[in-house]
Amino acid sequence: MQSMPTASVDAPRSAFAADARFERLSPNARRGMRVSALVGSLLVLMVSAVPLFLLSVARGEMAVATWLSLEAALAVLLLSSAWLLAGARWRATGWRLDEDGLAIRRGLLWRSETLVPRSRVQHVDLGHGPIDRLFGLATLKVHTAGTHLSSVTLAGMAQADAEALRDALVLDERGDGGQPARPAVASSAAAPGARHGD
Amino acid sequence: MATEAVLAAATPQLRLHPWSWLFVLLAQLRNFALPLLALLVFGQGGGWEQWQLYGALAGGALALVSVVQYFTYRYGVIGSDLVIRAGILNRTSRTIPLARIRNVSLHRTLLHRLFGVAEVRLESAGGTTAEAHMRVLSLDAASALERLVQVGHGRDAAAVDADAADANVLLRLPTVELVRLGLISNRGVVVLGAAFAAASQMVPGDPEQWFRPVGRWLFGQAEMLQMGWLATVLVALALLLGAVVLLRLLSIVLAIVQFHGFTLRERDGVLGVESGLLTRVRAHAPLRKIQFWCVSESLLHRLFRRRSLDVETAVSAGEGKDSSRSINHLAPVATAGAVAALVQRLLPEAGYPAFDWQPLHPRAWRRLCFWPLLLTLLAGLGLGLRFGAPGLLPLLLLPWWVLRARRLAAATGWALNGTVVAYRSGWLNRHTAFAELAKLQGVQVLHGPFDRRRGMATVAVDTAGAAAIGERIHIRFLPEAEARRLAAQLGRHIARNPLAW
Repeated sequence: MQSMPTASVDAPRSAFAADARFERLSPNARRGMRVSALVGSLLVLMVSAVPLFLLSVARGEMAVATWLSLEAALAVLLLSSAWLLAGARWRATGWRLDEDGLAIRRGLLWRSETLVPRSRVQHVDLGHGPIDRLFGLATLKVHTAGTHLSSVTLAGMAQADAEALRDALVLDERGDGGQPARPAVASSAAAPGARHGD
Repeated sequence: MATEAVLAAATPQLRLHPWSWLFVLLAQLRNFALPLLALLVFGQGGGWEQWQLYGALAGGALALVSVVQYFTYRYGVIGSDLVIRAGILNRTSRTIPLARIRNVSLHRTLLHRLFGVAEVRLESAGGTTAEAHMRVLSLDAASALERLVQVGHGRDAAAVDADAADANVLLRLPTVELVRLGLISNRGVVVLGAAFAAASQMVPGDPEQWFRPVGRWLFGQAEMLQMGWLATVLVALALLLGAVVLLRLLSIVLAIVQFHGFTLRERDGVLGVESGLLTRVRAHAPLRKIQFWCVSESLLHRLFRRRSLDVETAVSAGEGKDSSRSINHLAPVATAGAVAALVQRLLPEAGYPAFDWQPLHPRAWRRLCFWPLLLTLLAGLGLGLRFGAPGLLPLLLLPWWVLRARRLAAATGWALNGTVVAYRSGWLNRHTAFAELAKLQGVQVLHGPFDRRRGMATVAVDTAGAAAIGERIHIRFLPEAEARRLAAQLGRHIARNPLAW
């Protein structure tokens, strides 16, 4: 068992440093998240319309106007908040691949920063849901032998980024160790792990 | 041993014990117990004969299946593999390398012991179900298999035999200790509660009906004796005391039934636990499979100057129901010194009792008492408005919450050395949990809105095979900078060192 230096910690180089740089999800992911949030709130609207409609029918023909205005107000409220929340969630989500492994940051009020060390990655799945396919996105799922971190999901990666990340995480498992293969990220994103907040 | 020679034949040719069909049948009947019971209860009335016929047919079919299984099941050792063939229409042949088998457990209920047989389960690494479940083998055959697996792990036969002799015993619990365990653990309440719940489900009608005659009888006696209120109070107290004593006695009996003859052995990195009065269980697991350690010390533990040591292994983590088969309790009850000696023997690098404890955020106690204070205040004010001055009584709890929070915060801490990360928590009921760094699976820093306002954060680590409930290494209310430093250290250490299974 190797002993660990407890005194001198190069914390700034870690993903847990307060000023660590994280990569944002693909800009397409924001669109994807907004679309799925809108679809979700549309479903809620449709379900809520049924009792409102029945109520208005029971109340007589005058209530139809009330029903429509109520439904419209609900629609504006739900759709706009879904739009805004999806954008905020996109901004709050970040990932970073460095020599330690894959770090994921997410959450608006209750925030979490999760590190899946590369030595603990069991296997990696890439998934493509309907909205993912529409926007050229992929959902990365990293499996470990742990319990509540047994699978860590990162939705909304650009397809190329996700593939590069998967290769970097899995290839390293074969024991090259040391410096990770740098994912060939899209031109918009900087190479992760190379630069940190100054 | 003759059985071993046959075990090592060229094709699998060993059968289960001739009585195995009986045990298979019983196990199947247990699965069908509820429908059968329903049949008995609701089948009365019209067409009773018809229902009986259906029952007999179903039972006959089950018996046939059991007998067929006995005749089609073959096992044996070919080279270094255990081969099992089973099935009549759908034949399967399973090959398990002996070296891969991590746990051999022998399960013997009273009935098994009557017939001199054992239920054997073989488990390999990480799986949630057993690789093989042999129901049932003769005791000789089971022991031979157990030996073979251990020899397959590269242990020489002499060492295995030394196991059977009483070397390497780490802990043995005499009956006196089991009595203490029963008094501490209070299993009786749990069992009684479960029994009461089950009874109220199963028994038709209002459970009150069953107790009313008893109550009436008691009151009748009281009236007959013309007792005054003092005597009534005394009798009530005596009854309460009697109930407590009875529950404790039940707890003691349960502790003895579960842990009679508890023996913990260790040799060449393999742990073995054997216990049970009626149902005797013997389980083995490699020491390095232990993922998580927890020393618990409740108020009652302290009263008896005892502690308990529990572990989580990655063997068959999914079978929470069958926890008796995996090794969980290394020391159900032992003195502090014995627990320390045990950990020092099994994981010497941890430096167990001498951790360098680090405190939480200096204001952690404020967070700990915030919600209790707020809720008590609201409840007190609400009751005060409704009932006047007496309703304000809950407010007397306020200083208690502050005291509790301060003590809790002072008793909670974390420690990190080159081998383990440790977390101690609890004031009245204390827990010290630790896990080897080499076995951590991931690290998280969590912070909610209240954390951010106070500059605090939580560090959580994950291990394999963790139980859904119970102690975790989830260090709350750390100063944020310290939390980030700790998480960074842990993350780096895990990343640099391969997983030690």
